[in-house]
Amino acid sequence: MGDSIVTFLETWSPLDVVLIAQNFDRFLWGALTTLELTIMSLIIGGILSIPLAIIRAGNNKILNAPVWAFTYLFRGTPLLVQTYLIYYGLGQFEWIRETFLWGPILSQAWYCALIAFSLNTAAYTAELLRGSIVNTSQGEVEAAKACGFSRAMRLRRIVLPSAFRRALPAYSNEVIFMLHGSVVASTITIQDLLGVGRWLNGRYYLAYEGFITAAVLYFIIVLLVARGFRLWEKHWLAHLYPRDAVKVKPKKGLASFRV
Amino acid sequence: MSEPSGDHAALEVVDLHKSFGDVEVIRGVSMRAHKGDVISILGASGSGKSTFLRCINLLETPTSGDVLVAGEKIRMMTSSRGIYKPEDIHQVERLRARLGMVFQSFNLWSHMTVIENVIEAPVHVLKIPKAEAIEQAEALLQKVGIFERKDYYPAQLSGGQQQRVAIARGLAMNPEVMLFDEPTSALDPELVGEVLKVMRDLADEGRTMLVVTHEMGFARDVSSDVVFLHEGKVEEQGAPQQMFSNPNSDRFRQFLSRTMQ
Repeated sequence: MGDSIVTFLETWSPLDVVLIAQNFDRFLWGALTTLELTIMSLIIGGILSIPLAIIRAGNNKILNAPVWAFTYLFRGTPLLVQTYLIYYGLGQFEWIRETFLWGPILSQAWYCALIAFSLNTAAYTAELLRGSIVNTSQGEVEAAKACGFSRAMRLRRIVLPSAFRRALPAYSNEVIFMLHGSVVASTITIQDLLGVGRWLNGRYYLAYEGFITAAVLYFIIVLLVARGFRLWEKHWLAHLYPRDAVKVKPKKGLASFRV
Repeated sequence: MSEPSGDHAALEVVDLHKSFGDVEVIRGVSMRAHKGDVISILGASGSGKSTFLRCINLLETPTSGDVLVAGEKIRMMTSSRGIYKPEDIHQVERLRARLGMVFQSFNLWSHMTVIENVIEAPVHVLKIPKAEAIEQAEALLQKVGIFERKDYYPAQLSGGQQQRVAIARGLAMNPEVMLFDEPTSALDPELVGEVLKVMRDLADEGRTMLVVTHEMGFARDVSSDVVFLHEGKVEEQGAPQQMFSNPNSDRFRQFLSRTMQ
């Protein structure tokens, strides 16, 4: 019975399912690498983006200029180019190769990808957050002033919590873009999810098997991410919806906005 | 606005001026509120009454003049570039915490529930323990009649309800003086009453209040003093009974005839 299924698949299936099954653990390892890279860069980039966004939203010209340059540089050039510049480019400088950072970090493809991705997502997230901060209701800020909040306290208690919440739906896009952008890692020798697909392709000359498997796995991850954000939004954006929408729950959930 | 006595007025404003660019909006207004005074500030739109109120807690920085809260003067200085500004922002923050403010557009913090709005400043500015703040907030929400909505978000409430929460938020700081900046102007007519009632109750319990308003009924029946501003100056002031029945200035008479019809 088992044999006949294998025979059937080997003979008739347009995809070499058996080959995929045999290498499936590689794909899972690849997915893990992809997730690791994406999550780590989102965390590092996210943390970096907060002060950058605050500076961009403020009106200190001296601080603003370099941050503006940073965000425009990283949003204005392709992620692939940024990754190449860090992975291939930095090694050309003698003095960089001599620093203590070279051995453990800058000569490693994984860390180079992490640095490029983190800076890239930091730039996008900073601009996203800046918009959200700038759009904070001036009245709410005044109310906090009138209550005697200091500037730092207003930022921490009123402006940022409100801005983070409002940025959440747009940020889910950034997370998905970052996940997809992480395929760049496979071009600098990293065996991420796409990297495994490329390896399979290179080894067996089978394009569909590797790439379709990778695509399906990416798709599943995105579905989970989108689902997660929906739950998150439901929790953190409850204040934007009418109360009965939370309680009675229309069939399609919160986002079904009837105009 | 009774005669100056030995002890400090709850709030005193001395010769306040405020310009926006070349336009002088407040042209030397002085005012003194003793404990328990309810002062209504009237005036046509553009008379500078909201700006005056906002200068008291320095939401707008006056161009010159002094503000004293319970006898403590907000220290001002002129910067090297000739800008009049507070000398010590921490002092301003400390004194702001002693002045409750209610805005025309409520300005509740939209990401916080009703009760969170009310305990926010007591917990984070006055550093009151959270449990104590909640207890106090619940009592205040009872008082303004909105306790059963304490876990709602502002957007889920009507304007009148939001404004009552905003009043509770101001009261939670146990302020020296409550400042009301046209608290009913953004409300639907049928919601004005519930807010005015709360304000009346506060007046009855002896709260010191400065109220910028268009509600003539409130000004006449509730306030202890009325100030009429015209083009940034005090045109007339006095006890409401006398001012409403027998206005001295032509401008206030005209204003009354336009608004009371």
